[in-house]
Amino acid sequence: MAEKTYLQAISDGIRGEMRRDKRVFVIGEDVGVYGGAFKVTLGFQEEFGAWRVIDAPLSETAIMGGATGAAIMGMRPVAEMQFADFVSCAWDHLVTVAAKQRWRAGTPVPIVLRLPSGGGFSGGPFHSQNPESTFAHIPGLKCVCPATPEDAKGLIISAIEDPNPVLFFEHKHLYRRIKGEVPDERYTTPIGKARIHAEGDEVSLITWGAMVYTAEEAAKQVDASVEIVDLRTVMPWDKQAVLDSVRKTSKVLVLHEDTRTGGFGAEIAATIAEEAFEDLDAPVKRLAAPDTPVPFSPVLEKAFIPQVDDVVGALKELISY
Amino acid sequence: MAIARVAEPSGSLQDVKEQGLDREDLLQIYRNMLVTRGVEERGHILYRQGKIPGSFYTGRGNEASSVGVATAMGTDDVGTPLHRDMGVHITRGVEPWRIFAQYMGRADGPTHGRDGNVHMADANLGLLAMVSHLPAMLPVAVGCGLAFRIREEKRVAVAWSGEGAMARGDAHEGMNFAGVRRLPVVFICDNNQWAYSTPTHLEYAVEHLADRAQAYGFEGVVVDGTDVLAVYREARRAIEKARDGGGPTLIECQTLRMEGHAVHDDAFYVPKELFERWAERDPIERFRSWLRDNVDMTDEEEQETASFVKKLLNDALHRAEESPQPDPSALLEGVYATPEDLDTPHHK
Amino acid sequence: MATNTAVDVVMPQMGVSVSEGTITKWMKQVGDHIEADETLLEISTDKVDTEVPSPASGVVSEILVQEGETVAVGTVLARLGGEGGSASAPPPEPPTQPAAEASEAAASEGEAAPENEAVAEAPPENGRAFVSPVVARIAAEQGIDPTQVPGTGSGGRVTKKDIQSFIDSGAQPAAPAAQEAPATPAPEAPATPAPAAPATPAPAAPAPSAPPVVQQAAPQSAPVEVAAQVGETLEPMSAMRRGIADHMRKSLDTSAHVTSAIEVDMSRVVQIRQKLKKEYQSGYGVNPTFLAFIARATVETLRDYPWVNGEIRGDKIVTKSFVNLGFAVELADGKGLIVPVVKNAETLNLLGMAKAIAEIAKRARDKQLTPDDVAGGSFTITNPGGYGTFHGTPVISQPQAGILGTYAIVKRPWVVTDANGADAIAIRSIMNLTLTYDHRLVDGAYAGRFLRDLRERLQGWGESEY
Repeated sequence: MAEKTYLQAISDGIRGEMRRDKRVFVIGEDVGVYGGAFKVTLGFQEEFGAWRVIDAPLSETAIMGGATGAAIMGMRPVAEMQFADFVSCAWDHLVTVAAKQRWRAGTPVPIVLRLPSGGGFSGGPFHSQNPESTFAHIPGLKCVCPATPEDAKGLIISAIEDPNPVLFFEHKHLYRRIKGEVPDERYTTPIGKARIHAEGDEVSLITWGAMVYTAEEAAKQVDASVEIVDLRTVMPWDKQAVLDSVRKTSKVLVLHEDTRTGGFGAEIAATIAEEAFEDLDAPVKRLAAPDTPVPFSPVLEKAFIPQVDDVVGALKELISY
Repeated sequence: MAIARVAEPSGSLQDVKEQGLDREDLLQIYRNMLVTRGVEERGHILYRQGKIPGSFYTGRGNEASSVGVATAMGTDDVGTPLHRDMGVHITRGVEPWRIFAQYMGRADGPTHGRDGNVHMADANLGLLAMVSHLPAMLPVAVGCGLAFRIREEKRVAVAWSGEGAMARGDAHEGMNFAGVRRLPVVFICDNNQWAYSTPTHLEYAVEHLADRAQAYGFEGVVVDGTDVLAVYREARRAIEKARDGGGPTLIECQTLRMEGHAVHDDAFYVPKELFERWAERDPIERFRSWLRDNVDMTDEEEQETASFVKKLLNDALHRAEESPQPDPSALLEGVYATPEDLDTPHHK
Repeated sequence: MATNTAVDVVMPQMGVSVSEGTITKWMKQVGDHIEADETLLEISTDKVDTEVPSPASGVVSEILVQEGETVAVGTVLARLGGEGGSASAPPPEPPTQPAAEASEAAASEGEAAPENEAVAEAPPENGRAFVSPVVARIAAEQGIDPTQVPGTGSGGRVTKKDIQSFIDSGAQPAAPAAQEAPATPAPEAPATPAPAAPATPAPAAPAPSAPPVVQQAAPQSAPVEVAAQVGETLEPMSAMRRGIADHMRKSLDTSAHVTSAIEVDMSRVVQIRQKLKKEYQSGYGVNPTFLAFIARATVETLRDYPWVNGEIRGDKIVTKSFVNLGFAVELADGKGLIVPVVKNAETLNLLGMAKAIAEIAKRARDKQLTPDDVAGGSFTITNPGGYGTFHGTPVISQPQAGILGTYAIVKRPWVVTDANGADAIAIRSIMNLTLTYDHRLVDGAYAGRFLRDLRERLQGWGESEY
């Protein structure tokens, strides 16, 4: 056990797998010599060589299509989009080929696509998005969003093991800011299972990614027992854990950093309304970013990303309903 | 101003022997071409009888290119054939009854009714199922080559594209990556002169698409796509070069799409003279003549082959028609792969 | 391959977006033989004109669509009856789906139908009538009327916490979740309005407080564990008792109860009553009870003091042009109370009043009161004095604004002033009257004047007044 940053945990997870299984290789832009734009793969090329840590041309198609073909041929690629926002350049191979190959042609595509996502540091519209709901909507893809260093390592290992295309949303704003205890040994965190970040019995707060920490802060500032459920995986999501929490508290706030309309919170809210109607003591509330691209200026970005005060306000409304 | 090399037409039997093809191989090639055409002709009838849903595509006129390239592939090589390349499936050993079952959307088709047309592949035969977005499979084939390169295996990936699809970024990005990394990939461009109703002068501005290979750092070759032995020769050369670490080649096979884009298209936009001219170069007829002249194929052999093909296809059709419709209650199965799914030849 | 089953020839789909085709030419007629794959007909579609090969060998047995007709893809165009080989059987039918079972939605849950004799009048108990799904579910499961639960949620609604606390505290909810008057229509024989000796003038048996005419659906409790200590006995509360308990509590919580009292010299009424008794009984079969006199005088006085006959509704004051006079009736064996109402009492003279009172008393005794009989009262008279008590503070029957209590008529030494102004002591029949009024609406002076005028009427009852 050691205290590690979120970034370090991811790096250790990948490195461990590459040492253990020579089918695992990394491909992306600037991942080799440079060690990755965020230094997640720092030192990797020195250890594993240029054919296992591949500096791809500036071509998301080459990366995504390349990873798909290699995976079909038995490799375990861990591909990277330098920023999650660039996944739109790889969309076709991810959605058209990788997502559908197992279902329609019986061919599994065991790839991991790492997506540094999220904002909070003036990254602007093209370096700050959280596109998990787009891909949660595509049958055949899995989407994981770890919040803690421990989960980050466990989930990257599970993602590499999983025979499906797994999109790994690593929140950039957590990379170095968040530290936690991480076991030294190899372990997996199950994909599709939520984690109770804080137990409570008056309000359920369902969230994932960096918003877990915002939720934590906000819960301290209200006079009520708030249960924070960290989904950890957005697709497939732990519906049972959410419904169990809602049954307990009867009041629920769904929080995500992604924009509101069609964000994954909508799916969660609709499911709660359908399946836990008679457990509700208040309408299901959602708190999310407004429906705009991510702004650049700090003043605007603060108005965009749900802040602790926003969450406190939403919780208070629910509590007093 | 051509940059790519223009291939020689096929020559004598001696020429052919030097490439390792004996008489039996040649007759097999002929059979494969006949089965290819027969499957598609049969399918065409089935479609008009209302037995095949959706739409129906053929590669009439492309039999030499598809069979020629596939014959040059090694057992452990892989490929991503497209809808004009039925010859690749036949040559690699896909059974015609399964193709009919696929056409008819039956449970025993390779995709169990989940996809149609030629969107099928037998992974055990080294084939990857195509998608509608073209040429999306090209970068995927490059990825296969990447795996071979990483593992230092002597295997080659063959990527197909049409001349229209070569206008898309996927083709550029895939070939560029392959060229940069000198990956063991051979790119086949089936240039049949028409992308639906769009002629070549509206698809590209160079003289030959094979000229583009130079931009990616490798060789381009133009070959007569109706000359099966010429195609074979060039494909073999390129595949072995790739196998030996020589990097990719782009081979442009020229032919004419002898039917519409799909069965519902009567290709009114293609000048009649073009059809007439290329009908004289029918790849099967060309090869039949060559076999008569160069290896003394007899009437009996021809007859036998014809009967064999006919019986094969009739039996195949019956077997396919007995295959049940897929079960809707199984629709949700298999969206996600399980670890058991990784027990395939590719993941050995 | 031989088959004798008929084979359908269908309109093919020539392209994904094509939905119909036109027959341009039949190559065969009914009765002609055709081989499989031989062209049977020619068609034209949006996309292309083409030949349709026969799906099988056989004789054309039917042609169903003629040349020139346009039909949808999949339409059967012709049939081949089968002798000879058929290259292909018709495509197998897709597997049939199991018939979906229609399930009847479960019917009502929760509210039981109100018992028909019950009076249903629902004053807004909480600030909001809204009940959230989880509260509704818990209420249904526990048999609680959520409107009986104190609410701390926004707008006064009952929250999940509120109903859980309510359950945990062992609160005894009343009747089933139905709008039922705990005042059942089956009172035991009430005391008949028989005038007793002056000591007991009251026709109604003692009813110390307004019975719950207006009855909320008294919530019914789930069995809460209550244990008897040594020396104690437990018995269940009847629905009526629970209803009364609930109404009393609510009334005291709603109105600002103040009672004013006045002494009335009933000697004159006593005299007149004596005189009328025989006439009423023989002529009309009814007794001129003290209650009838009091009721008559009250109705007259209420005309001048409409607020005593009024109501606070929301933030408005309601006054009425009618007097629906309720009379409290005790049920036998202390089982409870009921307050039948004489509607439009302002239209009745003394005789009419006596008759009306007698009639409702009889119906109450015979358990024949209808929900209408106990609804709609605007003022109530109650007689706590039946057992000799001389004062009381009845509880107002919501949503009324006042209740008159009558007490024992007692012979007392009384100071009387003769015509010359000289005082003397006389024996007089004195009765105490109380008016309990809602001070939110009625002030002390107003109430005082009401009682003064009422006394004047009773003390100065004219012989010819009816």
